[in-house]
Amino acid sequence: MTVRFYSFLLYLAGVLFVAGLVHIVAILVMPQVATRDAYARLAALAKPGETTLLPRALPGHQVTPYEDPAFAQAVCLYDLTDGPLHVHADLPDNRLVTISFRTRTGQVFYSMTDRASLHGTIDVRIMTQPQLDAIEAAEGDEDNDQPLKELRLVAPDAKGFVLVDAMSTYPSERAGAEAEVKSVACAPETLAQD
Amino acid sequence: MTLIKFLLTALAGIALGFMITTRVLDRRLSFDTAQAGPWRGQPKSGTMDIDPYANARIARTAELPLGSAEGLSFIARNDSAGAPLRPDCDYIVSGGVPPTRYWTLTLISPKGFLIDNKAKRFGFTSAEVVRAADGTFTIVVARTARSGNWLPVGDARAYALMLRLYDTLLDFGTTKVGADALPKITRGGCA
Repeated sequence: MTVRFYSFLLYLAGVLFVAGLVHIVAILVMPQVATRDAYARLAALAKPGETTLLPRALPGHQVTPYEDPAFAQAVCLYDLTDGPLHVHADLPDNRLVTISFRTRTGQVFYSMTDRASLHGTIDVRIMTQPQLDAIEAAEGDEDNDQPLKELRLVAPDAKGFVLVDAMSTYPSERAGAEAEVKSVACAPETLAQD
Repeated sequence: MTLIKFLLTALAGIALGFMITTRVLDRRLSFDTAQAGPWRGQPKSGTMDIDPYANARIARTAELPLGSAEGLSFIARNDSAGAPLRPDCDYIVSGGVPPTRYWTLTLISPKGFLIDNKAKRFGFTSAEVVRAADGTFTIVVARTARSGNWLPVGDARAYALMLRLYDTLLDFGTTKVGADALPKITRGGCA
């Protein structure tokens, strides 16, 4: 009786051990194996290297869950393999605009609001570490006194996406918010090779 | 015989492991949890420091958490007394919100989707809300029309409330947040 009981406990421990292992592995590999993640859904709507207005969040017509219906949203998918991406926004209105820079698997590596703009414009260049090194080497020491007019971001991976959000505080501002997110320019650049 | 027992043990373990994983992700559990009254948030999900559970969840649901500089979001599935939100009851969301440029309150399904209603109102922005003289507000969440700030439930059988603070000074990393920092959710009459 006791032998049987202990052998049962042993098998139970085996089940729990395997379950724990499967659980940990499943959690850790989920971002790599998920096929219907945010990037995949956005890639079905948007071409890489240009700003695409996402459809307004309405019941039954949502690209992703937990969207804020008070916001207009645009996306720019990028691939930095061939060169950096230049994001430029003119924000003349006092509207809340937020920009988030995300990796292929959806993590935010940088985010900002229109408050970070300089005289109403935002200039961000996203690049890989080798591209940043190349740009800094090309610039040399000549203009070290000049303050940088752009924000240089090193992306964790070559692929990812930029999400631009503008708030329509009242429903009547929807068209303005949509126009504002659409006007944010997102331009892939090719680095001059020498 | 022993081999079969071993295989069964492994299979049972794998099945249990997947079951636990699904349950944990569906319930949005993670190590990174901030709580204020009925509101729960995951302030690190908008950073590269994201919790592995939140990371697995956003891959699975495709949700796009707010970046840390964009704002903070909170979900309430219970009222301030701790009871789950019932679609046949009225709820009063009232109080104040920490210093923030804008906030929005949205009614969503348990999985985060908007719920259709005849009034076509899915949420309130801080600018739209009609306030009392002292700046506080009252939003009534109810199935049938109310005067003032009415957030319709539609035909939902279950729902949750989502509060988003945009461009906020609130920082969960450095501040302890009390239950009264975010609005109270009080149950009113039930049908």
